[in-house]
Amino acid sequence: MGKVARQVVEQAGVNVNVLLDKLLRAAGAEFTTFYYYTILRVNAIGFDGEGLKEIIEDARIEDRNHFEALTPRIYELGGALPRDIRGLADIAGCPDAYLPDNPLDMKKMLHVLVEAERCAVRTYTEICNMTFGKDHRTYDLALAILHEEVEHEAWFSEYLEEGPSGHFRRGAPGTSPYVRRFMSADIG
Amino acid sequence: MCTRHPGFLVSMAFQKLALVEDIPAGRTKFACAGDFPVILANWEGRIYALHGLCPHQNNPLEGAALWDNLIDCPYHHFMYDVRTGENYFPKNVYPQSYPKLQEQVRPLRTYPVELRENEVWVDLA
Repeated sequence: MGKVARQVVEQAGVNVNVLLDKLLRAAGAEFTTFYYYTILRVNAIGFDGEGLKEIIEDARIEDRNHFEALTPRIYELGGALPRDIRGLADIAGCPDAYLPDNPLDMKKMLHVLVEAERCAVRTYTEICNMTFGKDHRTYDLALAILHEEVEHEAWFSEYLEEGPSGHFRRGAPGTSPYVRRFMSADIG
Repeated sequence: MCTRHPGFLVSMAFQKLALVEDIPAGRTKFACAGDFPVILANWEGRIYALHGLCPHQNNPLEGAALWDNLIDCPYHHFMYDVRTGENYFPKNVYPQSYPKLQEQVRPLRTYPVELRENEVWVDLA
């Protein structure tokens, strides 16, 4: 924990315990989404699924990156991940992204994916709103994640023909163009 | 914090829970009638009242955001239609084949609302 790192945030008027709860829920959602997206990606097969597979992989790896980038900030502020992984899954701030009953129905799968990303966009917008002008480091991190979640939503939304966004897929899987500067692990 | 469930409700009838100006358009307000929680929401100028605990894990809906007609639980982002109390998300993407999941997406109970001058009265009976 960073004593002054926490103190300056408290003195700026942020309830650090509430913020930590939000960061933990966000980290839990990233971790569980990484797990569920693995199942979705494996099942993205066939004429429609093969085209979807690569962007699921980008989103899957970047969600894992988000978990890794969030974790140090949680500890800096005096928080900790639950010692039992089941506890992390239980507090995850977004619903689980289950494989649809018919795994070959790519439209159903796209709805699962786009709703998961929309939940993430709302989550990081809340954290940005809470920390803007007060907790510069958490805000910077949450904004970087938000940039990527907005792009993920756009990818899946475009597949559903909801309108163009102008975004394009990554050059290599899950490169996290915004979050990579917060990563301690090598992401290639 | 008020955390009582609808099943415990005895006859409470109409209760004054807020002033109209406490709930601007597009916002929610968490209120307690004794220890009974209610979430009030103003969607497009009309005020709706629903039970104040999310049926998913019984967390209070205090601080819930309103996205169009959907109340967004701040804990796990389960979303409910203010008009009917029906769960929208994740019910719209949860597989039907898991009965356990369907239990998580039960509706929020809704309550009739009356505006008396600038006061919001809710029928909790």
